[in-house]
Formats: sequence, structure tokens, C-alpha cells
Amino acid sequence: MNRGTNRDTRILAIDPSTRGFGFAVLEGQQRLIDWGVKETKTDKNRRSLKLITALLEQYEPAVVVVEDYAGKGSRRCDRVGKLIKGISSLALKRKIRIKSVSRAKVKQAFSESGASNKYEIATAIADRFPELAPRLPRFRKPWMSEDYRMSIFDAVAFALVSHSSSGTAISNYRA
Amino acid sequence: MAYKLENYLRTYRKRSALSQEEVAFLLGCKSGTKVSRYERHARKPNLETLFAYEMVFGTPARELFAGVFQKVEKKITSRAQLLTRNLSRATPTAMATRKLQILEAITSGSGIESDKKK
Repeated sequence: MNRGTNRDTRILAIDPSTRGFGFAVLEGQQRLIDWGVKETKTDKNRRSLKLITALLEQYEPAVVVVEDYAGKGSRRCDRVGKLIKGISSLALKRKIRIKSVSRAKVKQAFSESGASNKYEIATAIADRFPELAPRLPRFRKPWMSEDYRMSIFDAVAFALVSHSSSGTAISNYRA
Repeated sequence: MAYKLENYLRTYRKRSALSQEEVAFLLGCKSGTKVSRYERHARKPNLETLFAYEMVFGTPARELFAGVFQKVEKKITSRAQLLTRNLSRATPTAMATRKLQILEAITSGSGIESDKKK
């Protein structure tokens, strides 16, 4: 089954978080198909993988994108590392291509548009996809925990950066 | 050709920020369960509901149900090409010529209405 040409390739990007995981489904770089946060309270990895399996069945992506947790800029815990490995195994079993994107690469890609931190990157993404604007968290103060909705924007960022094969700067991603 | 999802109802609903219950109300359904089934491709809407969706999201049915439309388009194009071959073998008449023009419009994707504009 042809899951799409490069221009319309359907990508499922997943960003694990403390609550569960954020996800985004894109067709190409222009079309955001679905997004959200899936919550898991106990047995997080097993339940997350079950929910991700359902997403894979629903959207049949050509590519699954996850964070390169061993890459530069990553400060992920062991549990998330295991979950990302589990996601990769799920994708490989279904013969879906898996791509890893490091946080450093995301920062680099967005830096040309002047976005230097997570909030600015999320704002740039909300500019590009206005349907995400209602989900944009408030600016995070030093004493605040990260808002759970940020994982949606992280997932979209991974998807956008992974779609670029030549490391196109994020200024090209703006609407 | 890119492989499309059966429908993009969930995409359009989330873009509109409406809940399943709210869409159900607009469609005249009793609960959001039906809307959920439509979005998960577990159930196909009837014609009236299809038009209601067009109105709610301001998007033609062929875009809302892009995957279904893609399959139908492929079948119709194939049948139109077969019919074209059969008609081309017959004795040319004014009627046959007109039919071939219409079939050409169908296979080119422009449709009968655009042929009327010629």
C-alpha cells in the first residue's frame, strides 16, 4: 500500500511526557491532521504503547518520528528511553519507517526564525497552525513545571524537522 | 497518488474547536457517539448528514471524505476508459461523439459541468 509521496507523506510524531505522550499527525509540512495528549496514569509505558498502536492503526503513517533521546540536548529519563525504544519496535514490526530527531536539531532549525527556546518554538508553530493556538501554554516562569500541552508542540516540531531532508531552516516553515 | 484517509472529519472538527457533542447537535444527532463512529470510520453518514457536514465545516464532501472519493474516482475513471474504448469501436455518430466528449471530461477529472462551459 502506498502511504504517500514525499509531499503528502503522513507522519506520526510522538513526544513522551510525564502524563503520557503528546502526538501530532501531519500530511506533508502543510497539513496538520490530528494532535493531542494521551494520558496514562499507571504502567505508563505499556499503556502508552497500547494507545500508540491504536494511532498507528487509525492513521497508517508512512513515518513515525520520535526524539533522539541519546542525541545532543536530550535529558530524558530511563523510562522514556525505554518507551521510545518500544515505539521504534512497534513501527519496525509494522514496516513503518522510523526517524529520530534530536532537540538540538529542532533548536537549530527554528533558530533562523529567531525562536531560541521551547516557548518561542511553540509560538512559531501556533502561528503556522492556528488551530493549535488555543492549546499554546502560557510562558513558563522558572518555578513552574512544564505544561503538559507543550508535548503537542514538541511532537509537531519533531515532525516538521524530520520532514526536511536538507535541514531547511524553520523560517521556511512559517505560514 | 497519495493515499488519503477515509475521512478527515476529526481533523475539521478539531480545527473548528467544536466538541463531538456540539457537532452532534448541529447534525441533529442525539449524542456524540454517532459523531465518534463517523470519525473512526466505523459508520458512514447518510446523504443528509453528509450535506450537514458540508455546511458545518464549509468544506465539500469530496475533501471531507477524501479517501472514499479517491477510491470512487479510480473506479469511475477505469469504467469511463473502458466505455470510451467500446464506443470508439462503434460507428461514429453525433450521439457517440458527444458521449466520448463527456467521457473525456470524466477521465480528465474536469467533469460534465466544465464540459458545459465550453
